[in-house]
Amino acid sequence: MTDEVLVSARDITKVYNTGSVAAHALRGVTLDVHAGDFMAVVGPSGSGKTTLLNLIGALDSATEGRLEVLGKDISAMKQRKRADLRLHSLGFVFQAYNLVPVLTALENVEFVLELQGVGNERRERAREVLEQLGLSEFADRRPNELSGGQQQRVAVARAIASKPQLVLADEPTANLDGENAETLLSMMRDLNEQHGITFIFSTHDPRVVAYARRVVTLVDGRVARDEEKESTSVADAESDGLLH
Amino acid sequence: MIRSTSAKYAFRSLFRHTRRTILSMIGVGVGCAMALVAASWLGGEKEMIVRAVSESGGGHLRVVPEGWTEMRENTLRLANWKPLLERLRSDARVDIALTRARTNGLLAFGNRMAGVQILGVEPDLEKVANRLVSRAELEGRYLQPGDRGKVVIGHAIAKSLDVEVDDDLFVTLAGRDEIQSAMLNIVGILSTGNRETDNMICHVTQTDVEELSGYEGPGEIAILLHDYTLVDSVFAQLSHSVGAGNEAITWKEVNPGLAAGLDSDIGFTRLLVCIIVLVVSLGIASAQLTAVLERRAEFAILSALGMKSRQVAALMLIEAIVIGLGGAVVALGVGGATAYYLSTKGFDMAAMMGEDLSVSFGDVMIDPIMYGSFGSWLIWYALGISVVATVLASVYPAWMATKIDPARALRTV
Repeated sequence: MTDEVLVSARDITKVYNTGSVAAHALRGVTLDVHAGDFMAVVGPSGSGKTTLLNLIGALDSATEGRLEVLGKDISAMKQRKRADLRLHSLGFVFQAYNLVPVLTALENVEFVLELQGVGNERRERAREVLEQLGLSEFADRRPNELSGGQQQRVAVARAIASKPQLVLADEPTANLDGENAETLLSMMRDLNEQHGITFIFSTHDPRVVAYARRVVTLVDGRVARDEEKESTSVADAESDGLLH
Repeated sequence: MIRSTSAKYAFRSLFRHTRRTILSMIGVGVGCAMALVAASWLGGEKEMIVRAVSESGGGHLRVVPEGWTEMRENTLRLANWKPLLERLRSDARVDIALTRARTNGLLAFGNRMAGVQILGVEPDLEKVANRLVSRAELEGRYLQPGDRGKVVIGHAIAKSLDVEVDDDLFVTLAGRDEIQSAMLNIVGILSTGNRETDNMICHVTQTDVEELSGYEGPGEIAILLHDYTLVDSVFAQLSHSVGAGNEAITWKEVNPGLAAGLDSDIGFTRLLVCIIVLVVSLGIASAQLTAVLERRAEFAILSALGMKSRQVAALMLIEAIVIGLGGAVVALGVGGATAYYLSTKGFDMAAMMGEDLSVSFGDVMIDPIMYGSFGSWLIWYALGISVVATVLASVYPAWMATKIDPARALRTV
């Protein structure tokens, strides 16, 4: 972690108007995310974890408050600029993997590079990323030919291929078994430590919490706790009784 | 090999539901094939009518005395026509330019009479240029240059007057100053197979008309071009060079009834094509919209990854173009084969309309078999209609795809 602030949220409120009912997803969230953070946002269902990630990921707009991502006030940003921000500076990993089913693993990674305007070298770069994550042998397989764990690792490859500063992962281990979750988390922590990529997870999963170096707890749309901790492996956490 | 991942995505997406895509292509193709056949039919009809009118004495173009178009008065004569005729005959685009003079008269034999329009012709040119002469059955002979006091009449007139070749007819007509009369010897009887047309044929030499009527010179120059598609360009030039007292008209003014009928057919066919394209487009729009709704989450992911609205729209348009191209192939297979059949075997109008009306409308002899138009234009027509229809049909689904809110769509994944 460094002093460089990647995300600065001040009194963020998000209200969803569903018919006549106004649902408060976030109620005045204030927090900073620093470059190099490996941070888990935890909390019960409906506490606002995914909403917070969507706001930081410029997928949605806050109802009130000021949100700066990579030094840019995204609440005032137009759709096109937001898309540019997501494409060039942010990476996403979703709970349901969400790879494009008609493209191979390699093409899924390559797709993002093509959107970025990378030329003929994009295929080589995509291969390098897959190799870096130990996925070379799956490069030519389509998502339906991969296990859940493999798909999620490809999703991570896709997220980091564009060399983002910040990766947002929404419940990335929710559909994975223990071994695959361990592999995935270990891989993301390596990326964090070796390449300085900042990760923010929304999660219920204690395994993710075990790996995280910072845990922000949301309750009813508010930050209830924000604590730094030592990152540990799932196995160590289990032996320390942290997962129970 | 496709190198663009976006194009691969669009192309492969089409074949997630192969049957739906193939059905869409067939839908576009069949609709487009109908439009092709209609266009082939219309092209053939237009060419047939232009040829029929122009070769039945009307000419592709005609030079007439000023005011003739409004009055249709047969006593009007061309002004300073000889240099104009020479110029026309030396024009490489002109196949034949021939003069005529008309007058109205009454033919009598015994106590039987028939009112006719007497056409004064240049016999050697009329035989070549007028299909009423060249294609009809001829009993006796046609007029020859230098003939005087000779007449060729239609079979229906001969029948009503009860005359035959070598009989002499008594003709009466209004001359410049007084009623004129003369005897005309029948040298030939023409039978086109159509009673109405046969009732209008009464040809004499132009010299005879000039002498009988007292009006000198021709009343028209009929112009046949080598290529009928040049009508408009030649007309534009001719309009400025016919000289004072004359005017140029096209076959449409010569036979406004058939021209209006053709315009009406063109309008109806275009309307039909528009309806076909609309129906096809709505079908494709529905299929494409379904595809967008099915892939809502996927578009949300693409948007989350940074894909811009125009790139999302481009994906949908690529898919539409592929469907359109597939449709064009089907259209060329179905519509092209039908158009080829129409262009080679033709459509027998004689059988459709009954023998009596089979070949002529008024004084215009129509070909009994209509041939459709066929050529490389079919390819561009099929491609144009099918691709334009599918692209237009995909505008709304593409717009829908760009409007998917990724945050909301991902909440439902």
